[in-house]
Amino acid sequence: MKKNISILISILFFTTIGFAQTADEILDKVDKNMSAENRIIESSMIIHGKRNSRTMTSISYSVGDKQSFTEYLSPAREAGTKMLKLENQLWIYSPSTDRTIQISGHMLRQSVMGSDLSYEDMMDDRKLKDVYSSTVIGAEEIEGRKTHVLELTAKVENVSYHSRKLWVDADYFVPMKEELFAKSGQLLKQTTLSNIKKIEGRWFPTKMVYKDMLKQGDGTEFIINDIKFNQKIPEYIFTKAALKQ
Amino acid sequence: MLALKLAFKNLLGAGLRTWLNVSILSFAFVLIIFYNGLLDGWNRQGIKDTKEWEIGEGQFWHPEYDELDPFTIQDAHAPLSEKIQKLVNENKLTPILISEATAYPQGRMRSVVLKGIDPKQTISKIPSAGLETTEKGTFAIIGKRMAEATKLKEGDNMLVRWRDKNGTYDAREIQIAAIFKCNVPPVDNGQIYVSLDVLQEMTNMPNEATLLVTSKDFEGGELENWAFKDLDFLLKDFHALISAKKGGASIMQIVLLVLALLAIFDTQVLSIFRRQKEIGTYIAMGMTRFQVVGIFTVEGGAHSILAAIVGAAYGIPLFIYLDKVGITFGTPDMGITISETIYPYYSVQLIIMSLLLVVISATIVSYLPARKISKMKPTDALKGKLQ
Amino acid sequence: MIKFLFKGILRDRSRSLLPVIIVSIGVLLTVFLSGYFTGVFGDIIDINAKFTSGHVKIMTRVYAENKDQVPNDLALMEVGELKTKLNLEYSEMEWVSRTHFGGLIDVPDENGETRAQGPAAGRAVDLFSPESQEIERMNIGNSVVKGVIPTKSGEAIISDDFAERFSVNIGDEVTLFGSTMNGSMMFHNFIVSGTIRFGPAMLDRGAIIIDITDAQMILDMEDAASEVLGYFKDGLYDTEKAGLISASFNEKYSNVNDEFSPQMFKLEEDAGLDEYLMLADSMSGVMITFFIIAMSIVLWNTGLLGGLRRYSEYGIRLALGEEKKHIFKTIIYEAILIGLLGSVIGTILGISLSYYVQETGIDFSNIMENTTMMFPQVFRTLVKPAHFFIGFIPGLFAVVLGNALAGFAIYKRKTAQLFKELEV
Repeated sequence: MKKNISILISILFFTTIGFAQTADEILDKVDKNMSAENRIIESSMIIHGKRNSRTMTSISYSVGDKQSFTEYLSPAREAGTKMLKLENQLWIYSPSTDRTIQISGHMLRQSVMGSDLSYEDMMDDRKLKDVYSSTVIGAEEIEGRKTHVLELTAKVENVSYHSRKLWVDADYFVPMKEELFAKSGQLLKQTTLSNIKKIEGRWFPTKMVYKDMLKQGDGTEFIINDIKFNQKIPEYIFTKAALKQ
Repeated sequence: MLALKLAFKNLLGAGLRTWLNVSILSFAFVLIIFYNGLLDGWNRQGIKDTKEWEIGEGQFWHPEYDELDPFTIQDAHAPLSEKIQKLVNENKLTPILISEATAYPQGRMRSVVLKGIDPKQTISKIPSAGLETTEKGTFAIIGKRMAEATKLKEGDNMLVRWRDKNGTYDAREIQIAAIFKCNVPPVDNGQIYVSLDVLQEMTNMPNEATLLVTSKDFEGGELENWAFKDLDFLLKDFHALISAKKGGASIMQIVLLVLALLAIFDTQVLSIFRRQKEIGTYIAMGMTRFQVVGIFTVEGGAHSILAAIVGAAYGIPLFIYLDKVGITFGTPDMGITISETIYPYYSVQLIIMSLLLVVISATIVSYLPARKISKMKPTDALKGKLQ
Repeated sequence: MIKFLFKGILRDRSRSLLPVIIVSIGVLLTVFLSGYFTGVFGDIIDINAKFTSGHVKIMTRVYAENKDQVPNDLALMEVGELKTKLNLEYSEMEWVSRTHFGGLIDVPDENGETRAQGPAAGRAVDLFSPESQEIERMNIGNSVVKGVIPTKSGEAIISDDFAERFSVNIGDEVTLFGSTMNGSMMFHNFIVSGTIRFGPAMLDRGAIIIDITDAQMILDMEDAASEVLGYFKDGLYDTEKAGLISASFNEKYSNVNDEFSPQMFKLEEDAGLDEYLMLADSMSGVMITFFIIAMSIVLWNTGLLGGLRRYSEYGIRLALGEEKKHIFKTIIYEAILIGLLGSVIGTILGISLSYYVQETGIDFSNIMENTTMMFPQVFRTLVKPAHFFIGFIPGLFAVVLGNALAGFAIYKRKTAQLFKELEV
């Protein structure tokens, strides 16, 4: 899952063709920081429930945007559970039952393990530039840092969120905050990114907090413990057979 | 004829005891009719209400739609063809668009079903006219149960989030324009009604619907790409419930009848015992035993006729009264359609069947002890010596 | 004298047999019908109580508010301790835990990959404890279509419709996929031990029933449950008592400021059945009253008949010099004896019959068109303590009254007329 989230993030910021000049430039710079040919991430996800919080750790491998494979390391209940995403299909393997279950259709809209993310949120791997047209609408300061504020509006139909607002650090070109909106303009979800570190020559946020704004609670934290870019990832890992290993 | 005349004379002559038996029998009679009438009334009203509120004279469903599987809703919608549009204009069909949504009444979260209904429609009793407004905003009507469950009042706002045709999230505040009362739970529980064009716009499904409700004027026939669900299908669970209730009622009827018949049997045994001399005399006068058995059987059976008359005497006014005021059940939320007030329905068939049942069984029961007569020695009978 | 009369009754069959039989039958019918009315009028309430509401139900306050979402992360915790307290303080009720859960039922192909799947509407109840009455209570036994109720951990019974649709056979393995109380992913394989059909499509859709201990394990709900239901030990709902219990419980344990504190709801609060309950109560009350009156009339008739039959006997006894008062006394004593005897026999038979019907029910499913209805397809009586004496009203009092009325005639008779009755 970690991996999926990272994919999501990379996708969010990976752009190719510019619409609004400055906005696209900014997005391109963001992309340089955030995306890579492939990567391996070790991360923790902290889900704040109504009663308690849980931490899950996982390692995920991804190549481009389309393939990703995640294995959960802890807690014991989740350890060994694997997730494979190929294009728009998702499978989950559980060692305790030795079963591979396909998550499809309506299940994709469900929340992932009580977090503030749905499977679908994790699955959308289209590039922001393909889906949204962006404009710079201003500059703001967040926690003492200057940011560009970008507004993204859907230019295709089949998107979950009609518009987004993105705050990009003016020096590091790393997103600091993102808000997702419904068609009506109602704020639905919010992501805040922090703990920006320099990794292999690029700036990367290592803490993200996702929050479903309509749901009560403290949201879901995502912390990157270790990230490696441009590694050699064997091709077989992205097959269903690998799930069972 | 003679037997009948004699029977009534004897019966009326016996006084109190006859009237006791008759009153028991009439009571059984009235109760059987009442209970069945109540069930029939419930049945008719339940069907009528379900038709008027929900299903019309049957519904056309989008082939993907399954009432019981909310996951089908996402894909179950299609544009209305010209033919359908024409039928809608002729008030023969009314389209309903359905969309799943999440409502956030007072910070809580609740899955709901958004239904788009034409404010001008008259096929369903849902007071959709209340959705017609020139005011700005999105207005909805909800049922009383839903209002209670969500603690919403008229004029309250509630945030609703849904996804349009393409899966894009949308959310807005919806204002409750009115709260209606309805005794068909599926029309109420978890449902939010908005104007059809509003929902079509909200979901980006212009001119589309999930199902079509037919009116009485609909002549039948197929609609391409829509699956017709007839009343039998739509009322299946309800029919099953009523037939189950009838099964339950049959035991009560049997016990009541047995009770009344026990009384007649008892009386027959007594009267045959007490009237040995009379029996002896009949036979001595040249009647065959068979004829005498006949007299006594008819006499016993005649209880039932008197019972019918007595039963009618107090039953008819009672039934008329109950039919006027009805029997109030409150508004139980049992997932089944039950009117707050049930007006019993007494069909001619019900009354005739009950009458026949009572008369025939009373006659049989009267015959059983009377058979003893055929074994009597006339001489002993004349002396009244039989025990 | 009683001994003498008793011997008389026993030895003179014409004096005893018919009246006792009739009184017995009458009492039997009264007792049975009373039980039956209680059962039939209460059926909707009863089904509600058994399936969803209990006679009282405890949930956390916040679970109750969101119960349509089956939010197990808000479930009751420390259920063991809670139940100990409940058993101690409200011992008139039986306390059971149940857990609801959602998720997916996933059917594997030969490679262990998804062949078919559908949404699950799961219930976990106590299937395994020998003292548990849940199977009986939820009518699971009678609703089984194929196979058997789970008997060991790892077995589940699933909706027959689901099994049919995806051709799942008894003994097949299906995977339940959902989330635990903590929100972790939950996978568990269950062997399908049987299939079930309750009737109403709403209850059957996606149904999967497992034992509560399995649910505790797979949902991480050790010592937790969605709800704790209380059932009166006599099986009968008493709205006043339930009200008192829930008021006292909420006073003691429920805290408005703690959304995870437990809150108790009585049946009608949970199911919205207030008015129906009142109606059903008064309806069965009226029916039973009417019935007792009618039965009394019948038995009074019997008593009268018994007396009339013996006018000649009384004539002789008067002629022999026995006092009218004494004869009358013997008539009454005899009536009491017969009434008692008949009432006892009738009550015993009636209660046994009622118990039998309460346990097995009268199955109408064969004669009814639609056999899929869980609703009163099988009719049951309900035996209440009152039914142990209700039969004595018509059985004893009416018989005595009838005999007394017949006996009064003795006072009116002149000795000369009595001799006329003696005509031989």
